[in-house]
Amino acid sequence: MRIIAKFSKGKEVRFTSHLDVQRLFQRAFRRAQIPVAYSEGFNPHSIVSFATALSLGYTSDSEWFDVKLTKYMNPAEFMNRMNETLPKGFAVTEAYDAPEKLPSLTSLMYAARYIVMMRTDDADVFKTLSSSMEEYLGGSINVIKRTKGGDKEIDIRPMIYSMRVISVAENTALIEVIGQLNVSGGLNMELLLKSFEGKWGHNAVTDVHRCAIYSEHGVVLPKFKQQ
Amino acid sequence: MDIDLLGDILKLVEKPARYMGGELNMTEKTDGEVKFALCFPDVYEIGMSHLGSRIIYNVLNKRTDTVCERAFAPWVDMEKELRSRNLPVFSLETKRNLNEFDIIGFSLLYEMCYSNILMMFDLSHIPFRAADRDESMPLIICGGPCACNPEPIAEFMDAVLIGDGEELISDFMDTYIAMKRKGSSKQELLTELSKIEGVYIPSYYEAEYSEKGDFIGMKKLVSDAPDTVKRRILKNLDTADYIGKPIVPYMAIVHDRVALELFRGCTRGCRFCQAGFIYRPIRERRLGTLMNMAKELTDCTGYDEVSLFSLSSGDYSAIHELVPGIMDEFEDKHVSVSLPSLRIDSFLKDDLEKIQTVRKTGLTFAPEAGTQRLRDVINKGVSEDDLLRSVTDAFQSGWSGVKLYFMLGLPTETDEDLLGIAELARKVAGAYYSVPKEKRAKGLRITVSVSSFVPKPFTPFQWEPQDTAERIMEKQRLLKDALKGIRGVDFAYHAPYTSALEAVFARGDRRLAGVLESAYSLGARFDSWDEHFKREAYDSAFEENGLNPHCFANRRRDVNEPLPWDHIDMVVEKEYLIKEYEKAMRCAVTKDCRKGCNGCFGERYADYCKVQ
Repeated sequence: MRIIAKFSKGKEVRFTSHLDVQRLFQRAFRRAQIPVAYSEGFNPHSIVSFATALSLGYTSDSEWFDVKLTKYMNPAEFMNRMNETLPKGFAVTEAYDAPEKLPSLTSLMYAARYIVMMRTDDADVFKTLSSSMEEYLGGSINVIKRTKGGDKEIDIRPMIYSMRVISVAENTALIEVIGQLNVSGGLNMELLLKSFEGKWGHNAVTDVHRCAIYSEHGVVLPKFKQQ
Repeated sequence: MDIDLLGDILKLVEKPARYMGGELNMTEKTDGEVKFALCFPDVYEIGMSHLGSRIIYNVLNKRTDTVCERAFAPWVDMEKELRSRNLPVFSLETKRNLNEFDIIGFSLLYEMCYSNILMMFDLSHIPFRAADRDESMPLIICGGPCACNPEPIAEFMDAVLIGDGEELISDFMDTYIAMKRKGSSKQELLTELSKIEGVYIPSYYEAEYSEKGDFIGMKKLVSDAPDTVKRRILKNLDTADYIGKPIVPYMAIVHDRVALELFRGCTRGCRFCQAGFIYRPIRERRLGTLMNMAKELTDCTGYDEVSLFSLSSGDYSAIHELVPGIMDEFEDKHVSVSLPSLRIDSFLKDDLEKIQTVRKTGLTFAPEAGTQRLRDVINKGVSEDDLLRSVTDAFQSGWSGVKLYFMLGLPTETDEDLLGIAELARKVAGAYYSVPKEKRAKGLRITVSVSSFVPKPFTPFQWEPQDTAERIMEKQRLLKDALKGIRGVDFAYHAPYTSALEAVFARGDRRLAGVLESAYSLGARFDSWDEHFKREAYDSAFEENGLNPHCFANRRRDVNEPLPWDHIDMVVEKEYLIKEYEKAMRCAVTKDCRKGCNGCFGERYADYCKVQ
């Protein structure tokens, strides 16, 4: 049997790495006595795959994984058993009995939606945020990407599907970003945040929350709609 | 520590999970009468791997009157962030500042963590010396194997706990709480604490030195203080508290598995091994107890590996029932078993093959010395045949990688002994090639890992000099050359200056407190990490304090000379150590005491040991 499930990662556990998360789910499966299927070979490991990694420090209520079981289990029971044993900060929020022939989650992904919260002591920096957003998105957004072959300048604008200021209070600003996230790569939020800094010259602390991962046609993952 | 501020700081440091807390099975208590900060003076992933601290955490948190929370040394990047904001070290459970606890207890596993204690004090604005701390300050205590010679750090501590911690810490807390309820002063408290077996109050003693600067003895300053502080011994390990539901870290730690402590103590009597002397006598857990523990611990953690943990796990009297028993229990659950401290001769091919059915773990062997003569000197009762038989078994069973541990600079060592290490490695490679090609796994890898001998208190070699760092380097070069050209051999060795400093602190006296303070102010911390070890800081520190490190490390001491740790009674008799020392020099071996009592406790404590 194959279960596809969605989980959330809260503030208290946002500094766990992708590897940590993979490990903790494997342990949680064991504690919850989920009949997870194991690979063959010298070092058998449970057959679990995560749709995509979440950057260290980000929170999310829309992370996805796909796990193979050796026998049938009611997805609701799966969810309950997992939630009884997961550490505080993690919760499985949806679970589905997935057809075996369904493509992998990674290949279904199309886009992701993020909320960025910026905080600063300097109240002035956010004043021009809303008015200059259109201009910012009008051109290319060139950032320096670190690669093995050295630093490379790339334009991330094509990977931004939409971006808008939700609210600006005195020293906090909320921005919604919808960007590419598919099998060939995704919008690098860290590079985008760097570019924000260059543009508005602020020195804000940022918190990033992933709200959704979309598919193109609405298979398992919610369907992406052009804003 | 404000939680939101911490979140922002954690964006700036590497491995932020070190400071996060909130792991599975963490104890969450809102309040208790006494708040105890259990500190480990190294980073999280090392501290969380320490079994003793986990036992103490469980014992303390089982009490309704006590809240025990953990704190670790912040890594250099975090130290910088804390310092620049004038923030203290904080606990992982409630992010409480270290200086707001009633008691701060340090686990001391190795001497090279001492400078980190000062770093943790400093960040938390706690004066280093006990004498400079008033009643508003937390009571500061320590325990662990380094506490058997507590003198180098004695001036920093209000009390030192010596021996097994399970019952000792409980008695300590009972007294502490009773005195606190009475509203006693710190002095009254210390007086009561000093009556507990295993508690040492450093301020009740003063070290005396000759005009030449030699240590000549400890003078009691308080008439009621005991002449010697006797180590606390847990009589029954089988019924003792263990680690409860252990915390499961988010980040990978060094020992990231269930640790099943089979027994405490060791009967082998290797003469270099401090643990082999200070944890006597041997105390085993029953087979049934261990099987239940293995099941409970894997159930509540979800770990996929159980490590059979002891000083010499293969010596466990029911090892051939335990290994298959655990295998059968866990095979379907994909939980593997590892034996981290196997002795060559305690090994059986059947068990090897069993281990392999679940998962292949690395194999390590510790012959310690390259020739039979030197192995007799150190009483490592292992022969070349034992080793070759074991590695051949391993190669036939499908292993292709083995690790061989040796020590360099052992007493009486000659070049012949060093070349013997290379010879042994060559024979191990030969054993691999003697297995038919189709039956052996590909890719032979022999790791020859060589550490430097550090003479430790309460061992028969406590009077022996350590080789100087220069001499160690010469020996390393000699061995490196000798190992060249042997197929499949990797050579790994340690930085000699760290071992030299370890030797100073292992057998040092109270004057080293000043050295630590000077070195810390010159930037010393994380001394066991090669990339942070600041040799110059210590060189200057010794100079500033008018002390010569070679007097502590490289000098042969007379067996009649007063030793700075003579007032600590580790229960093994000094006469026994002298006898063992003399036997070592004659290359005479001493039998495993499971085969008959060697009388190490003398007449005083003969009844402490159940091994006949």
